Amino acid sequence: MSSLGTALVFWPSAAIMLVTGLYVFRTASMARAGLLLLASLGVEGLIFLALASEFLGVLQLLMMSGEMVIMTFFMVMFMPDPGGLMGMDMTHEKRRSAALAVAVAVGLAVVAVVTDWPAQTLNGEAPDVRQIGFEVMGRSMFSFLFAGITILFAMVGGTLLAKHGGRLGLPAPGGDR
Amino acid sequence: MSAATPFAVLAVALGGALVVACLEQAVAGATVSPRVLLRRAWRQVDQPLTTARGHDAWLYHLAPPLLLLAAVVALAMVPWAPGFRGVELSTGVILFAAAIAYVTPAVLMAGWGGGRPLVVLGGFRFVALMLAFAMPLAMVITAVAAPAESLRPAAIVDVQRAVPTALVQPLALLLWIPSAMTVAMLPPFDLATAREELGGGAFGQYTGVHAGMVALAQRILVLALAGMTAALFLSGWHGPLLPPAVWMALKTLAVATLMLWAGRRSPRVELDRLLSLAWKLAIPAAIGAIAWAGLVTLLFYVP
Repeated sequence: MSSLGTALVFWPSAAIMLVTGLYVFRTASMARAGLLLLASLGVEGLIFLALASEFLGVLQLLMMSGEMVIMTFFMVMFMPDPGGLMGMDMTHEKRRSAALAVAVAVGLAVVAVVTDWPAQTLNGEAPDVRQIGFEVMGRSMFSFLFAGITILFAMVGGTLLAKHGGRLGLPAPGGDR
Repeated sequence: MSAATPFAVLAVALGGALVVACLEQAVAGATVSPRVLLRRAWRQVDQPLTTARGHDAWLYHLAPPLLLLAAVVALAMVPWAPGFRGVELSTGVILFAAAIAYVTPAVLMAGWGGGRPLVVLGGFRFVALMLAFAMPLAMVITAVAAPAESLRPAAIVDVQRAVPTALVQPLALLLWIPSAMTVAMLPPFDLATAREELGGGAFGQYTGVHAGMVALAQRILVLALAGMTAALFLSGWHGPLLPPAVWMALKTLAVATLMLWAGRRSPRVELDRLLSLAWKLAIPAAIGAIAWAGLVTLLFYVP
């Protein structure tokens, strides 16, 4: 993509990402908050695409959809006021959390500016797919396996808790499937 | 890919949606008449929009465009002929899966935004169905991409020059068809949106342009999924005698007809059973399909 094309995708996407990210905490409705987060993180996929990281961008788009929909579900399930009809405020400890957020943002910005990023020109067919493959199957295999098994435990645990009767497995009325 | 490709994709979307609507008529045993269909579509679009109280207006109004966008992006990834490969990306099949994945939030938004018990329930039902069936769909995509060693749809078509994937990986095709029908909201998997279920479910409240967009998006989804099935499993544009584009069109039509016809001839199954089937049978089987694809690739495809 040309540098003009990159800029035309990058800056509006970054702006949408920040605005939707901000509104996640401005809305009282859990469904809106979850879907705004999906918009924010989905648009981040467009930024990856604009920066010529096709595989990561497409993967980000794919994964965020499912994950954020599930999260919206959990938020609607567990919050006492999912529709935000009582005007619930999603921010707590306002002053301290704002200070912490600003500090973290400044810290990350400093790291981003100070770091000596390697200057690489990308050409040819999707070099990142191959590199990610070798990374996952090589040096990073242990951490990915660990993360995978942790997620599997969480899935099994979540399913058991969601089962009727909880982890004790009390029989459901009308038979258990 | 050229500057005209997006317009060509849009033309395929609109023309193909009409063809799919005609196929629906034919499968239902009615007389096929594009003119009646267009007139009916116009009458629907001409209705005023529903703006009942209790809507989450943003989600309600954004859901049909998002659904349409997801369907068109999915369609754009389908390779139709050597000269017209849609929007060609080296990760095309993943973007296809990603576009399909955005059908879920669109239907959830339609359901939640509708603000009526049955409509909300329809949206939730669809999420449960999609989470269960999109998983085998995505896993099957990795399985059929393995022999081509590429995520580019055209490369997956080309690796099937000699033998179509449907013959090499029948299990993958067996898992793909019902999953694709779930994504396309076709019976018997349309528990979230059918008029006979929950009174239209997630889309129950839409009228006018909203309903028109939803109907169009559903037809485009059927077309995209049928086209991708032809490309990934039935060797796409390869075939003797006829020109490549004709082969691809014939295969797509055959798959679309099969999906529409099979749906009309099978009863709807209770949601719990469908979910149970997907999680306990289809997903483990999809892991088997991936293992089989790896074995076949190592034995026969890798030089």
